[in-house]
Amino acid sequence: MPGLHLEVSQLAVTGAGGRVLVRADRLSVAPGEAIGIRGPSGAGKSTLLFALAGLQPSTSGSINWGGVELLLMGEGERARFRRDHVGLVFQDFLLFEELTATGNAALAAAFCSRREAQPVRARAAALLERLGIGTGPRNVMSFSGGERQRVALARALANDPAIILADEPTASLDRETADRMIDDLLDLVRHAGKTLIAVSHDPHLLMRMDRRVDVIDGRLREGEAVA
Amino acid sequence: MPDILLDAWQGLAPSLQDGLVLAGLLAPAVLTGLVVTFGFRPLVLVPSLIWRYRWTNLVFVALIAVSVGLGVGLTAQERGLRQGTARAAEKFDLIVAAPGSEITMLFAAVYLQPSDVPLLDGAAYQRIVSADNVSLAAPIAYGDSHDGAPVIGTTPQFVSHLSGALVEGRLFGRSGEAVAGSAVSLRLGAEFTPAHGMGDEADAAAHAGAGTVIVGRMAATGSPWDKAILVPVEAVWEVHGLANGHAPERSAQIGPPFDPEHFPGTPAVMVHAETLWASYALQSEFTTDSTMAFFPGTVLSRLHGLMGDVRQIMSMMAIVTQVLVTAGVLTGLVVLTRLFARRLALLRALGAPRRFVFSVVWCYAATLIGGGALLGLAVGHVATGILSREISRRTDILVDASLAWPEFHLIAGFVSMTMLLALLPAFLALTRPVIDDLRG
Repeated sequence: MPGLHLEVSQLAVTGAGGRVLVRADRLSVAPGEAIGIRGPSGAGKSTLLFALAGLQPSTSGSINWGGVELLLMGEGERARFRRDHVGLVFQDFLLFEELTATGNAALAAAFCSRREAQPVRARAAALLERLGIGTGPRNVMSFSGGERQRVALARALANDPAIILADEPTASLDRETADRMIDDLLDLVRHAGKTLIAVSHDPHLLMRMDRRVDVIDGRLREGEAVA
Repeated sequence: MPDILLDAWQGLAPSLQDGLVLAGLLAPAVLTGLVVTFGFRPLVLVPSLIWRYRWTNLVFVALIAVSVGLGVGLTAQERGLRQGTARAAEKFDLIVAAPGSEITMLFAAVYLQPSDVPLLDGAAYQRIVSADNVSLAAPIAYGDSHDGAPVIGTTPQFVSHLSGALVEGRLFGRSGEAVAGSAVSLRLGAEFTPAHGMGDEADAAAHAGAGTVIVGRMAATGSPWDKAILVPVEAVWEVHGLANGHAPERSAQIGPPFDPEHFPGTPAVMVHAETLWASYALQSEFTTDSTMAFFPGTVLSRLHGLMGDVRQIMSMMAIVTQVLVTAGVLTGLVVLTRLFARRLALLRALGAPRRFVFSVVWCYAATLIGGGALLGLAVGHVATGILSREISRRTDILVDASLAWPEFHLIAGFVSMTMLLALLPAFLALTRPVIDDLRG
């Protein structure tokens, strides 16, 4: 599924006591574009990412994905939107340790319809092969960090999403593994024309993005474009 | 229930009725499972959750299994005890004794728990033996023992009635001979001298010179009589310095007819009538100011009726205990659910419907409950065997209890009730904040 256009305006995420955690007056991401979000720890980067996925409560303003207004949806509709259009990658992988790579990558097959489950499984298997993990019977608890993150990447892409939201995808990896992860991520995303928004401190990752956005004290500021 | 349905139900075979009750009791659990999991495949994740905290889960399953197992083990035991006591009494059609407590006499004559009771004299015995349709009227005499086994005086005819054919040897034919119960350790040909009295107070020297030899062994009866040594009633009377029931010129005779003039008295006469109606007629005939006649089965049935209320209370307490244990386990599950809250939050972040997450938690709890219940069946089976052996050993009543439909029904009811309760932790898992759990 090709990437979706994102238009954010007057976005405000509030936390306990009405404190504003993140404010974004405007953010626009073109379909197929890859942007990096950077900023100091606690600035609200991950909060912004979760808000873009429709997970963050107490969010106001507008988050429009390809003409669909996320904040007008109910919880069930947002879950459906994530299931159909969003792939999530987390810093510490968040895998089911006792499942195989295939079991993790095709996790969505457990809760989507039978008609949708088969393509998810097929894509998961193909992605794992492409990422060099394979579909063996080993549980992922015996995998290295790099292997785990590649399984997590396959899981994020198994439902053929238009949008990839990655939260510090290289933070738990050594440099060499992180570079390979970046290659894999960008290769898969660009190859399929997905929209990628990655929160990261990793300059190697940020440098390879089309654009960077800074989050400082909960406010977005457009960073310099990357050639 | 409409009569037509009631008739249809009563027309079904008992095992089919039990099977249908079982299905009905399990239906809430099955229907809940079908509704909760409809359209999803939560069982893909349940093994992962169980393995993740396998030792904690094992403790939960063991707790459920022990509570279920002990619950069904006790109810099966209670039934086994009723059946055992009834089986032990079934050879005793009618007992005639001096007026007093039927229960005391039942315990004394059938279960060999001797107590001081008034005696029937020779005239009373003569009336009984002369009554129409009496095929067997055996006096008994007790009060002696050997090595903990009661020595009971009776007639050869009653030994045959009680045991059928002997498994070893022959019936006693004179004073000084005895037939051992099936569980008596004395071998054929072994000699012993009865002690006067029972237990610690037995006087081993009181009957010195009354050596007795084992000449036969009864088949097992499943009653306390299996641990008794049966001797001629005449021998018991003689060693106590009483007339032996026969005129001096016939003093060597063993068994009836007894001479009322030389009949020293008996606490009870075991009566067997030729027909059932004759038994009732005899009971009526000997329920008088001077004699008491009763059917041990009827007295036992009244006792069991009284125990029936206790049984219902026991069953209720077993269920309550099991439900309390399971409620404790489910409370533990709520806590445990927090341990994998991050995984559940991940599912929701990936777009899993709330109902899917609900179904994962419910299936997880249901697996523990189902596993605990199945293991509880095994625990109950083992507990029943152990308790049966122990009760048989202590009471001499053969208790051969086993799990049956009532226990299966109890477990099915328990499973359904607790699987409905398991909806609660599943619901509570949905109330957790996704973002907080995702961040760990």
